[in-house]
Order: sequence, then C-alpha cells, then structure tokens
Amino acid sequence: MPASAAPSESPQGSIPATLKAWSGPEKHPFSLDDLYGPRRDLRAFAGKVVLVHFFATWCEPCVSEMASLQRLATATRGKPLAILAVDVAEVDLRVRAFFDKRPVDFTVLLDRDRAVSKSWDVSALPTTFVLDADLVPRLFIEGDLDWSRPDVLAAIESLYPAAARPQRETTDNK
Amino acid sequence: MQRREFLKATAALSFATVLPGTARSEVVFAPKPGAWRAVELVTKIEIDRPDSKMQAWIPLPSVHENEWMRPGESTWTGNAASVTRVRDAKYGAEMLHVIWKDNEFMPSIEVTSRVLMRDRAIDLNKPGHAAPLSEAERKLNLEGTDLIPVDGIVKQTSDKIVAAANAKSDIEKARAIYEWVVENTVRVAATRGCGVGDVAAMLKSGNLGGKCADLNALYVGLARAAGVPARDVYGVRVIPSQFGYKSLGAGSANVTKAQHCRAEVFLEGFGWVPVDPADVRKVMLEEPPANLGINDPKVVAARKTLFGAWEGNWVAYNTAHDIALPGAKHPKLGFLMYPQAERASLLLDCLDPDNFRYALISKEVPAG
Repeated sequence: MPASAAPSESPQGSIPATLKAWSGPEKHPFSLDDLYGPRRDLRAFAGKVVLVHFFATWCEPCVSEMASLQRLATATRGKPLAILAVDVAEVDLRVRAFFDKRPVDFTVLLDRDRAVSKSWDVSALPTTFVLDADLVPRLFIEGDLDWSRPDVLAAIESLYPAAARPQRETTDNK
Repeated sequence: MQRREFLKATAALSFATVLPGTARSEVVFAPKPGAWRAVELVTKIEIDRPDSKMQAWIPLPSVHENEWMRPGESTWTGNAASVTRVRDAKYGAEMLHVIWKDNEFMPSIEVTSRVLMRDRAIDLNKPGHAAPLSEAERKLNLEGTDLIPVDGIVKQTSDKIVAAANAKSDIEKARAIYEWVVENTVRVAATRGCGVGDVAAMLKSGNLGGKCADLNALYVGLARAAGVPARDVYGVRVIPSQFGYKSLGAGSANVTKAQHCRAEVFLEGFGWVPVDPADVRKVMLEEPPANLGINDPKVVAARKTLFGAWEGNWVAYNTAHDIALPGAKHPKLGFLMYPQAERASLLLDCLDPDNFRYALISKEVPAG
C-alpha cells in the first residue's frame, strides 16, 4: 500500500487539504490488538467522535501527521473525541520503536494482516475517517492533514454530541 | 488512470525510435551468458536481547535454473535446538527453520550457501525452442496474490496499456508493460527495504513510487492481468556489476541491505525472460552523479538491456508470495527476501538488521 501523494506536495500546494463529507457506506466495527495492551473494540468508543487513522511507519507523510494528531489530542483533552491510529501490516516491534521515539497519548492499534484496512477499503496511507458518536463515518480524508488547524477542529467539534459542542453563537442573535 | 497521465504509456513506441542519437554512446551494459561465477553467501543471526521462545526463518537460494542459477549446498553452525530445512509446497521456496531452547543465552546461527550464477541474455529476435509452461505453472504464474491482484484496477490498467500500444502478441504486451512501468513509476529513496508491493493500492492511489518489490511487482501484476505469465524473483545482490553500474551491484562484501527483487515474463519460444524495470529507475535515481534523466546514456543502456537480460551478480532466493512461516502464528508474508525471527512471540523487524541482529556477507570464490 503506497503513501498518498501528500497534498502539500501537489502543484496546487497553496490549497490546503481538507476533510470531505463521507458519502460512502457505513464501516464495519472492528476489534484489533492495542500496541501495548489488550484488544480494543471500536464499539466501545460509541458516544464519542472517533477519528480512525490508518497509517504506517514507512509512510513519510504519516510521520509528520502523527505529531499533528498529538496536538489535536492535547487540544481536545476532556472532550468526547477518541483517536485510534491503526498501523497497517507492520511487525509490532517496528511500530513500538516508532512510538518510542514519538510518544503519543492516544490509542495505537495493529492491523497486522490488513483485514480492517481492506474491509474499510483503504487504498493509500494515510487515510482517516471521522465517525460521529453513533460510529457512522461523517468525514474522510485520503492524504495527510494538519489536525490542529482551526477549521479542522471546528469540523470535528461539529460532530460532538450536542451537550459537548462549543457555543459559538453571539449574544445579540435573538 | 488520467491522474497518472496515462498517455505516457505510449512509450511503448518502438524503443529504437525514441533513442536520441547521443544515447547510442560508449556505455556498454551487455550481460551475456558466459563463465559461471560462484559466491559464498553467509547469513549470520544473533538474536538481540534474547527472551523466552525464539525461532528464525532464513531464506535459502532455491531457484534452480540450469542456464543461470545453480544453488549448491547450504551448511550451518550455531547453538539452535533444532534446524529444519523447509520447502514451501506451492512455490518451492526453501528456508531454514531454526528454533532455540527457551531463554537461550546467546541464540545464534550462521548459514553458508554456495551458489553458481551467470549472466542471462535472451535474443528476442529469434524465438528458440524453450519448453512451454505446464498448465500448473501457467496457472500459478497468472493468478493473483494477496498484494498482486490481477482483476479490478490492475486489469483495467493493463488493458489500457496493451490497447494504447496496440500490442497483440505476448512479447508486444510484455514490452509495452515494461516501457509503461519504466515511464510511469519512480524509485523513492525513502521507501524502507524494498517496499511493500501492494500493487492495487499503488494504482488506486496513483502513487507509483517505491522500490523493487513495488515496481517489479507492478510489472508482474500488469503482465499477469494481460494473460502473460510473469513472476517476481526475490534475491540479493552479491558482487559488483562488471559493467561499471555502481547502483546495480553490491557495494561491498557486506550485503546485509542489498536485497533486490527482479522479475521474469514467460514468452512462448523464449521461455522465462528476465526483466527489471525497477533497476532502470534505480539507475536514474542512484547512478553517479545521481538523478539521471531518462535519456541519459546510462539509463538508455540499462533500459534497453533490462528487457531480456540481466547480470549474474545476484543470488535468487525464490519466486514465492504469501509465505507462511512454519511454527508461527503471524500473518503470511508478502514475500520472503529477508531473514525473519521471532522473540517472545513477536516478529523482529527484518528491515532493521542492527537491532534484529543479522548480517549478510558475500564472498566470490572459484567457480570450479
């Protein structure tokens, strides 16, 4: 599976990559081994917005994107957002070595035999789906993205359950 | 395929017509079957930070082709509890399965394989009398694998290449696909190891960058999808090129990172024909002074030669895909070109020989 051509490397480099609305089918829930711990089931994250991020350590754009995902995790601490980074078809120790050098505080899962990436029809890395609190895919991007961008954060926040959404209305809006 | 400027496929024009005059220069890259050369290829493994149950799987040279590759005996020394020579039933790929006793203090093994090899060159102007493929071999070398499907986007792309080149015969199709891969792919220095070889994903993403296991797998998939039997041949460069191509030979006796996957296509009358479009892109990227243009004489010579010939400075391990490691529960490997080992149920990173630890050392020896 190749790395996506990084949007920032495109001839239209001035156009920032952005999340697209997902209009495809729903995705099957999965259960995968955590990099350091027990098996994790996607369904256990229902009630939160879930960012399912497919990557590999050999994928160059994935490396810098991981740092931006960590910035997102830091910025949304305490919010109903879960980040699941799914490594595709690499040996555990390679992935551990990668995160030993670049620690993150979100969940890293192992799709060792590509079963999940295949069933989710992931054809390039990185690819990310943003699921709503009912685990329905709502946003999608094939390629890397700066997840700490305000517009990206706003798009994610718009999917939070109503009580957790930031109040952005002005006071004179009566 | 519009995103990949599909019309580049029209490079399937007669190759001679696109050669600039300057390209027919003094550069000589002309492998010819001649004298046999012999090497001793040594694979040394010392499992780093031994722990619990440990086992290893070491590929052995197991491509037996009387005209160009004659593996001799493989011998080993070490402190393993058991060493078993295992043969994959489907492809005939051989490996050494090594098991150490639990918590062995310094698990190690050294395998020495002696191999005879020589150049190959097929005269594609003169069909010979090569035996046809058996039905079983034909089926094997036309079918898809986990990472090289021959339907969907691979088939669609193959059909477009063949149609654009107006290729009718197998040799026309094989050459058209070769030229297309040379024209449309790129070698990416940052790719780890030899790449992953996920052909359908390469085509879907439009990112045709990678290394030999990507680019030559793409060739094999496109050829198979066109109905022309083809196969990857996984191996390792063991001695320098005699033709002065630094990028196409071993740089030193330490060949730990010199793995290279080539390809073959089966053409009636000619038999298995060597092809290596990935090495054309390697010459472009790496041959000094580096980043050569496609019309550079060294690139032109490599491109002309590597459809029908290759140099016998490389040892072939096998032509296998989707290989299961006996005695392990890990997913199948896309291919077996690196030593593999497991420590405490975890596969070690075969692309990180320093932390695995393994080394491959090659030494030319008298061929007699």
